[in-house]
Amino acid sequence: MHVYVYDDYLNKNKFNRTINRVEIRLTDLGLNGKILRLAGIKNIKTAIQNEIRIGAKTIVAVGNNQTVNKIIGALINDDIYGDFQKKTLLGIIPIGDDNSIAASFGIKDSEDACNILLARRVEKIDLGLAGNHYFLNEASIQSLGTTLEIGDYSLEIMEKGEVKIINLLKSKSGEIKSNPHDGLLDILVQTRRKDQTYLNAKSLKISNKEEKLIVDGVMEINTPTEISVLKDRVNIIVGKDRVFD
Amino acid sequence: MFSKDNGLEKFKDAETIIGASIKVKGNFQGQGNIIIEGALEGSLKTASDVYIGNQAKIVANIESKGTVVNGEVRGNIKTKGYLAIGGTAKIFGDIQYGEISIEKGASVNGQLMMITDDHKRAEKAKEETDSPSEK
Repeated sequence: MHVYVYDDYLNKNKFNRTINRVEIRLTDLGLNGKILRLAGIKNIKTAIQNEIRIGAKTIVAVGNNQTVNKIIGALINDDIYGDFQKKTLLGIIPIGDDNSIAASFGIKDSEDACNILLARRVEKIDLGLAGNHYFLNEASIQSLGTTLEIGDYSLEIMEKGEVKIINLLKSKSGEIKSNPHDGLLDILVQTRRKDQTYLNAKSLKISNKEEKLIVDGVMEINTPTEISVLKDRVNIIVGKDRVFD
Repeated sequence: MFSKDNGLEKFKDAETIIGASIKVKGNFQGQGNIIIEGALEGSLKTASDVYIGNQAKIVANIESKGTVVNGEVRGNIKTKGYLAIGGTAKIFGDIQYGEISIEKGASVNGQLMMITDDHKRAEKAKEETDSPSEK
């Protein structure tokens, strides 16, 4: 059984037509299932985990990066997680803006997402953990004043720019293509001097007195905080054009 | 004097790149190729090659398979394979190498010693004595 979790913002009239089209397409493909609306749910975790307990085989996030992030947070690190990892899949139907996570999985738009759900191509991928918050794509922070502690050494960044801790996002320049199966996080520092720093690590501690860490573009976290990677932790339905092999 | 294949070029397949705006402190270890354009204090060790750019400032002992130095190094360098020292390099420390080339303009303040087969055998024996294999 499929359970579709609709984000709050989809209640806006401007999304009605897209939602209708998606629902018709899902019915045509025989993929119709139960709909949960986050707007009417007090505790996402309990609601989603109840669905898994009563037999949901696929949880589909309908929305944007924030929706996926909320659902991942509700699924992992709990007693239901074992069942989720073994039996339940996570799908995504991107609607609106801020859908870089879906794009990383090769899901172009909502119509493409329906076909991808039908094809059911599953990848088990790594999941990033920043403090208590999970991320699929990346965590980022302003570079000036940021210190990274990795094992026996530390990196101090002395220029303005951005630090990205990447699980699977492809860099804009295309030079860095992360592998979300390797149990490693890619660390990319790009500064205004146009110089680039690149390395990888299993875990690190990040700190910046002035700036906050932004996880998957949706959540702000205070530093210092530990960042690590959980290997092969999520089963995701992906498209052929995903950014990783 | 030097041909284009003097080994001073930056390699393309680096596992780690430390940019010019980064300062690394501590014991930096890797398995793959490392490019350093910034500053490093501590030690640097890799099973592969190290490239030190002309703006880089290293205060560390370096141990690697191959090394290219174009910047400033204050510390000892031990390279089992090929060590290429560019014309902009400034080295303050002792150097052990398998093969070496030094470009005109380079500054080297320290002892140069070639790692011979005898050295390699003695080192291997020392390693075995220090950490006897499990039987």
